[in-house]
Amino acid sequence: MPDEARVDDQTPAPSVRRRRRRSRSHGAASRRVSSLRRSQRRLAGEEHPTAVEPDDAPIAAQATKRTKDSGAARGTRDRLLASLLHPGRGQILAAIILFIVGAGGVMQVRINATDDTYASARREDLIQLLDGLSSESRRLEGEVTQLEQTRRNLQSGADTQRVARSEAERHLTELSILAGTAPAEGRGIRMRIADPNAAVDAGVLLDAVEEMRDAGAEVIEVNNTIRVVGSTWFGSDGGGLVIDGKPVSRPITLEVIGEPHSLEEAARFRGGIVSEITGPKIGGQVQIEQEERVVIESLHASRENQYARPAPPVPTPR
Amino acid sequence: MIPLLGLLAGIVLGIVLEPSIPQVLQPYLPIAIVAAMDALFGAFRAYLEGTFTDRVFVVSFISNVLIAAAIVYVGDQIGVGSQLATAVVVVLGIRIFTNAAAIRRALFHA
Repeated sequence: MPDEARVDDQTPAPSVRRRRRRSRSHGAASRRVSSLRRSQRRLAGEEHPTAVEPDDAPIAAQATKRTKDSGAARGTRDRLLASLLHPGRGQILAAIILFIVGAGGVMQVRINATDDTYASARREDLIQLLDGLSSESRRLEGEVTQLEQTRRNLQSGADTQRVARSEAERHLTELSILAGTAPAEGRGIRMRIADPNAAVDAGVLLDAVEEMRDAGAEVIEVNNTIRVVGSTWFGSDGGGLVIDGKPVSRPITLEVIGEPHSLEEAARFRGGIVSEITGPKIGGQVQIEQEERVVIESLHASRENQYARPAPPVPTPR
Repeated sequence: MIPLLGLLAGIVLGIVLEPSIPQVLQPYLPIAIVAAMDALFGAFRAYLEGTFTDRVFVVSFISNVLIAAAIVYVGDQIGVGSQLATAVVVVLGIRIFTNAAAIRRALFHA
């Protein structure tokens, strides 16, 4: 039935509807005709086939005509109103799609609102962020290492300084004891030399001091007033004894800090200082007491060196 | 009326049930929504001009959404994802404005 198809192509939508209705009553042949017609339309590349919804069709056709001849806006509005009153299949489809869009839109809004900025960030952005963060952390780690190194340096410097300081203080006490500028106490002996004939001269006294030093005496004091140090000299002033310019009264008392037993032995050995004093030449008496605590409080007034200056240290030979 | 009800139902359901899409698809959802908006505006314009067809509407909707998402996906794969997403949004935005202008003209003749 070629003429039917031709007629259909030319007829507007309402006749299509009628055509369909009629074809339904016909049978298989008519169905085939209508399917042919449809495929023909498809082949013709109709973007918007005029087969509109059955219910909407008359109004749609009317409205299209009216809009085309630039009728009033009333046409489209009427059509809107009519479609509101008589919904069709297209509206249901549109409803479904709008439902999907609405749900998706709400989802997206929620994702945008609740999630933080990184959840929806693209991969490159995240990689860039990560790169920035890791380089920053590398930089900070380097800084931490540097600061720790500095702290170690400062600590070891402080340690070194502290050790040097305590060493110097120890040296200072040792040297001030040696130089006689600090009081000292410790085990030792007290030696009293009774000299009724006033025969003990500077030489004998120097011998006594040397014997004590030989036995390991660390601090020596004469008569509780005169500290014997490296620069101490012994002399005679008329009939009296003089040590460091100070007269020495008799009996003479020597207080010595050191190992008491060694000191006493050093004084008493045969031919030593005791036998010399108690000998017939001097005729004195020596009394020695070992003491657990000998306190020496007299000080030697040290003078500043007038000529001697510290020399640069000689390199130690290997 | 029914489409409006559908939109409302979608929004309400989205708010109440808080559905979530897979993490993989999340970057493409905004683009898909913009494409859907374009399809919706186009459909409304066609409807006002009397050329609306549900078949065309459904097909154009789905294909628009899929193509937009696919473009962004391909862009992601070749490293120009954000630029292509911007391009898609710009093009769809222009289309949306054109459709909106046509709708305005059809409704108010202005």
